[in-house]
Amino acid sequence: MRRPPWVPLLYVGPAAVVMAVACLYPVISALQLGFYDWSMGTPWEEARWVGMEAFVASFRDPAVWRSLVTTLMFAAVCVAAEMVLGIALALALEGNLRGMSVFRTLFILPMMIAPIAVGLTWRYLFDAQFGLINALLGLVGHDAVAWLAQENTAFAAIVIADIWQWTPFVFIMMIAGLSNVDTAVLEAARIDGATWWQTTRRVKLPMVMHVIAITLLMRLIDAFRVLEVIYVLTFGGPGDSTEILSLHIYKTAFIGQRLGNAAAISVLLLVVVAALSWAALRLSNPLKEGERA
Amino acid sequence: MKRRTLIQSAGSGALGMLAAGLPLVGRTQDRYAKYRGQTVVMSIPSHPHYDAMSKLLPEFTKQTGIKVEVDRLAMARMKDKQLLEMAKPSGDYDLVCYIVMWKGEYVKKNLVRDLEPYLKNAALADPDYDFKDLVPRYVENIGLVGGPKGYLAGPGAKLYGLPYGAETSILAYRRDLFAKHGLKPPETYEQFERLLPEIRQKTGIGALTSRGQAGHQCVHAWLLHLNPMGGKVFDDKWNPRFNDAVGVKALKFLKLVSETGPVGIPGFGQGEMITSFLQGQAAMYLDSSLIFGQVKNPAVSKIVDQVSYVVHPKGVRHASQSGGLGLAIPRNAKNADAAFLLLQWLTSKAQDKAVVRLGGVPTRTSTLADREMVTLYPEFITLRQQIEYSDPDWRPIIAEWDEINIQALGVAVSEALTGKKTPEDALNGMVPKVTDIMRRGGYLKG
Repeated sequence: MRRPPWVPLLYVGPAAVVMAVACLYPVISALQLGFYDWSMGTPWEEARWVGMEAFVASFRDPAVWRSLVTTLMFAAVCVAAEMVLGIALALALEGNLRGMSVFRTLFILPMMIAPIAVGLTWRYLFDAQFGLINALLGLVGHDAVAWLAQENTAFAAIVIADIWQWTPFVFIMMIAGLSNVDTAVLEAARIDGATWWQTTRRVKLPMVMHVIAITLLMRLIDAFRVLEVIYVLTFGGPGDSTEILSLHIYKTAFIGQRLGNAAAISVLLLVVVAALSWAALRLSNPLKEGERA
Repeated sequence: MKRRTLIQSAGSGALGMLAAGLPLVGRTQDRYAKYRGQTVVMSIPSHPHYDAMSKLLPEFTKQTGIKVEVDRLAMARMKDKQLLEMAKPSGDYDLVCYIVMWKGEYVKKNLVRDLEPYLKNAALADPDYDFKDLVPRYVENIGLVGGPKGYLAGPGAKLYGLPYGAETSILAYRRDLFAKHGLKPPETYEQFERLLPEIRQKTGIGALTSRGQAGHQCVHAWLLHLNPMGGKVFDDKWNPRFNDAVGVKALKFLKLVSETGPVGIPGFGQGEMITSFLQGQAAMYLDSSLIFGQVKNPAVSKIVDQVSYVVHPKGVRHASQSGGLGLAIPRNAKNADAAFLLLQWLTSKAQDKAVVRLGGVPTRTSTLADREMVTLYPEFITLRQQIEYSDPDWRPIIAEWDEINIQALGVAVSEALTGKKTPEDALNGMVPKVTDIMRRGGYLKG
């Protein structure tokens, strides 16, 4: 018996509606907010229609573009480092070595810690006078470094904290991907005389490329949304050298009380993240026509 | 009209009117009876004074039958939550703790209640409350809105909150180190400037600890020096003047503090600033009077018996910080009367002393003068003197201040501290942004 054409829609419909409402409503609300001048704590009826004013003002604000550049640098450095480290660790630890399950459990702990706690922990670690990092540097005769008081070192500090927290995510994803690689293919490569490096480069990594692509995409999106760790660690300083776009949006909305401008900048962030995500998927889309078979 | 006269006349205005009205209030048998069983929900920060206050709450419930629930948040996150709650038709909070800088915004948005009707309500007000005994400078700075400039005492000022966790700046110094190296605590900014490198050289530790992190923290540190030097953020017509010669001089002084202080000042928040002093990494501390209790606490302090206090050094004038925390009743509070009873109880003479014994800060003149309290805290003698110099116009507490403070000046001062820009360039560079904010707020035309 042939299935009526509307049956698949019946199955997919409810989930699609829920997803659409849950995802689109906040986006549309943000977009709407961008056309109003409204301050938190006042009735919405008092909001003033300002048209494109908030968008124009935000896009003309040099601080927004500075934040965007900082964000792009932060995302590029963090995600690149996390991908390389995560993949390398997964390749090194993929075998069923003794005690490896305990190590894996310990290794993923950082990503389970609340971001605020991560920020505080690193703030103490980077403390110029009492921090563990300067104490270790002192053991090798190095002077104390004021990590959070200089632009370059403060940027390094937020990058290190992010890499520490999120490399385990890449590791876990890659371990899962590698465990699904067909052992017969690996065995064939071994019989053909492939070295470890050749097997890794020519067999394993291509076979987990879809996992790498998804992981890269997820990390990229997350890197653009980081807020709490940087909020606690540097609050965007010194100056505005570590003020990434999400922190700039937070300050515009909750300190400047310019919700419309914050919404306008959020739309810019959404566009940038969407464009980068699209590009990342285009580069290594596991669902490309030729690779489905 | 001179400034002192203005404040005195304010005393006979908003504050005087309230104080004069209180004796008319009749004594009630049990003002709490009607509210027994109600629950007052408080929004408070993680803060030493409010940690001490929390220990008093069971006694309040025992005495009155009114229960208290506390929603404790990090100071920086408290305002977002309060704004969301207070904007609802019926909010979850009955009593909110606010930082002095928020008072103008909360009143402008009609989020908190005028307290005068409560203080005059015979059924609620305690005839022994003695409003006049609340430190007038604290009341003016933290409680009054609508007067001159929108935040000072005088015609139009109304009481929207009571000080609870108020503070002023005071200079703490290491008595032992000063004696050992033959140093004298500074009385003037000239002496202060000479002393900083000298301390560094003689003691080998930081001279003065200071806040310095980008945003509110570094601006707070700069304002500490700007005001005694005779500077202000705005002139009388709300034009920015923070970049004038005095503003630059104050910023250069802060740079000197950073260069001669403990390592890392440009990254210091309030916590690091205090810790470096308590852990013996700095010889002096010039900031909130909140430090008293922490110095005496051996769990956090290595300098328990080694600290003395003097008043904030004089520049062209005495002008110490005025700030801290207050308590207000939200417009949409469900149990507003019970909240007022709690507010009144907490700020009463007896409980003011009680909270000080637990490590909190005083709000009443009688507490500062109390023999037992002064025996426990001899520094109250200096504090009483310091409060006289507390400047309610220490910073412009207008609704736009948060944005100016954090997103404009907080970037400029930080950039000067790290050497990215000269103090002149950093401050001049922020004039257009601050002017824009003031135009948007309606303070400037054009």
